[in-house]
Amino acid sequence: MAQPPFGRRILVVDDDRGLRHVLSELLQGAGHTLATAGDGPEALEMLGDGSGFDLVLLDIGLPSMSGLDVLARIRTMESPPLVIVMTADDTSATLLEAVRRQAYRYIRKPFPPSAIIEVVSEAGTPASALSIEVISAKPEWLELVAPCTLEMADRIQSFVLHLEAHLPEAVLEAVASAFRELLTNAIEWGGKFDPNRKVRISCVRTNRLLLYRIADPGEGFDIDKLRHAAITNPDDDPMRHLQVREEQGLRPGGFGLAMTRSLVDDLIYNEARNEVILIKYLDEGE
Amino acid sequence: MRVIERRIGDVTILQLIGRLELETGDLILRDTINRLVEDGQVKLVLDMKDVTRLDSAGIGMLVSKYLTVRRAGGSIKFLHPTERTDHLMDITKLTTVFEMFDDEASAVKSFGDASIHGV
Repeated sequence: MAQPPFGRRILVVDDDRGLRHVLSELLQGAGHTLATAGDGPEALEMLGDGSGFDLVLLDIGLPSMSGLDVLARIRTMESPPLVIVMTADDTSATLLEAVRRQAYRYIRKPFPPSAIIEVVSEAGTPASALSIEVISAKPEWLELVAPCTLEMADRIQSFVLHLEAHLPEAVLEAVASAFRELLTNAIEWGGKFDPNRKVRISCVRTNRLLLYRIADPGEGFDIDKLRHAAITNPDDDPMRHLQVREEQGLRPGGFGLAMTRSLVDDLIYNEARNEVILIKYLDEGE
Repeated sequence: MRVIERRIGDVTILQLIGRLELETGDLILRDTINRLVEDGQVKLVLDMKDVTRLDSAGIGMLVSKYLTVRRAGGSIKFLHPTERTDHLMDITKLTTVFEMFDDEASAVKSFGDASIHGV
């Protein structure tokens, strides 16, 4: 992944003066240039055409003008900065509206200082930002189409997992790991990291299960020819496939399928194996 | 990912901080260990407690560098694996290969007493 520039020009928009101050100190200490605004109109005036800032950290619950409306206005600017939405509103409706309005990332308050530092440091540049196409933004059926880049994998994973933040930690971690493996597989092997190719992600939720379907633009694969994957290793030699990977000039890895199979309840590929469904069953009430 | 490096005798402790994932921390880990091996530092302890996220590419790099160091006559020991790291190592059957420790002194000592008093 291309490394973004270190020092960003950041506008913090929040009506909480204390939080503005804390974020300013924190992010300036990390080498960024900071400005702050206490409400939407002030933020929009400071932003102008957007070209003076790389990132906006935007609260949703602002007085006089909602953060989601500010986000929509930013997206119409000539040079829109990336917008990281931060909110204590943990309803899926807010998150989904933020996705629909092309928020770059979403972070739920309260957050530890390390989390905001990490999100800011991982953010790409406004010029490189690609759009996520929202096919469906219902809590029970989220469907997105996105370019095949690793940066996009981070964004999608962040959105999807925030929808499931109420799940027990162990379940959430298992789902997060499995989803991440399948999504990066789709982007790397199916999409060849080509931003012009698209991956389609559907997330369906019922009271009893989580179902994720990922369709990549590749030709699929033959599972009998996966000697470079750990699933073909004998029990007493868990590293055998690495020699095959070395011979084939592949990066170290090959553990994704073995991991994913152990983390979810069902893993189903279509015939070509360029579409996959993972299912995690939930106890009622989870 | 950041790597903080320090020495105890001839053992090098690498504290890994942040994400160890595809094209994020995995390349930093690769370059760090390759440099150490070139310098002849082949007794390595990887402190995993501050690894916030680990994926199959990160695990792949751990295994790959483990083999690199073994071929150079040394070894890598793993310190403070989180519950999640431990679980992923178990799933991938790597717990049968890697040595894991819960305290630094034991990890260092596992290389032999000469490691502690050397250099």
